[in-house]
Amino acid sequence: MKKLRKKKRRKVPVPIASMGDIAFLLIIFFMLCSEVSKDKNDLRVTLPESTHVEKPEIPIVARVSIDEDGVIYFEGKQVESHKDVEWGVRAMLANTLSDDQRHVQFKCDVNLTKETFEPVLKAIAEAGGIIEAVGEEFKD
Amino acid sequence: MIKRSRKQIKKHRDGDIPTGSFSDIAFLLIIYFLVATSLVKVKTITADLPAGEKQSQPQQKKTDIVNLRGTEIFFNDKAVSISELNDRLAALDLLDQEDSSKRVIMLESTKMTSYEIYFQALAAISSNGGVVAIVDGEK
Repeated sequence: MKKLRKKKRRKVPVPIASMGDIAFLLIIFFMLCSEVSKDKNDLRVTLPESTHVEKPEIPIVARVSIDEDGVIYFEGKQVESHKDVEWGVRAMLANTLSDDQRHVQFKCDVNLTKETFEPVLKAIAEAGGIIEAVGEEFKD
Repeated sequence: MIKRSRKQIKKHRDGDIPTGSFSDIAFLLIIYFLVATSLVKVKTITADLPAGEKQSQPQQKKTDIVNLRGTEIFFNDKAVSISELNDRLAALDLLDQEDSSKRVIMLESTKMTSYEIYFQALAAISSNGGVVAIVDGEK
């Protein structure tokens, strides 16, 4: 009878010394690649619905919003009138060359009337911006 | 004397920073950011509203016009629903027109027109390749 040789199990150590480095590299990667939202999220705005809305693939250069009280915001900051929006957009588009750099996001409450939102739309157009009107997909 | 001897006995501690838990902290930070991050998913319509000059005289060629009167929509003075407006605009084949001046659709609205109906008309015109020309109301 042969003696059964006991196989020695080798312990395979998992290299964990570099785990911390990998984790921190991941954090740095996410921090550099992330784009912080410049949109004012706490606005009281009910968005309109349409079947034609789609996710834009072009960069947004400026953001204009009008809340349910008719208060106008440009880049998250409250402004007095549509004229401020025009000058703001004009300043932002001063060094733009292509049409892809002229897109301005426009967010407005559904219940506002023409007198409130149309001057702002015209102001963006006058300043040379292409309007990206934000809406929600139509639900039955 | 006793105090001195105690001081002398005190060992100098090593200045090593404990790095063993760094990976745990880092992974906890990653998990925190992954959970706390909310991706922005806005959906838009692109409306081409070129800056125009006011015209004192009407154009020779008849341009198609969308009128918004309160909650009602009129296309060339005929009452339509939003889906009918979409069909009418699609029938114009504006996307095939190379000259942007032939793609102009006038948009007129009354004071009480809400943004909801305005947005839907704007979306219908833009999605069918139209260039929106806002008509100023008489003052």
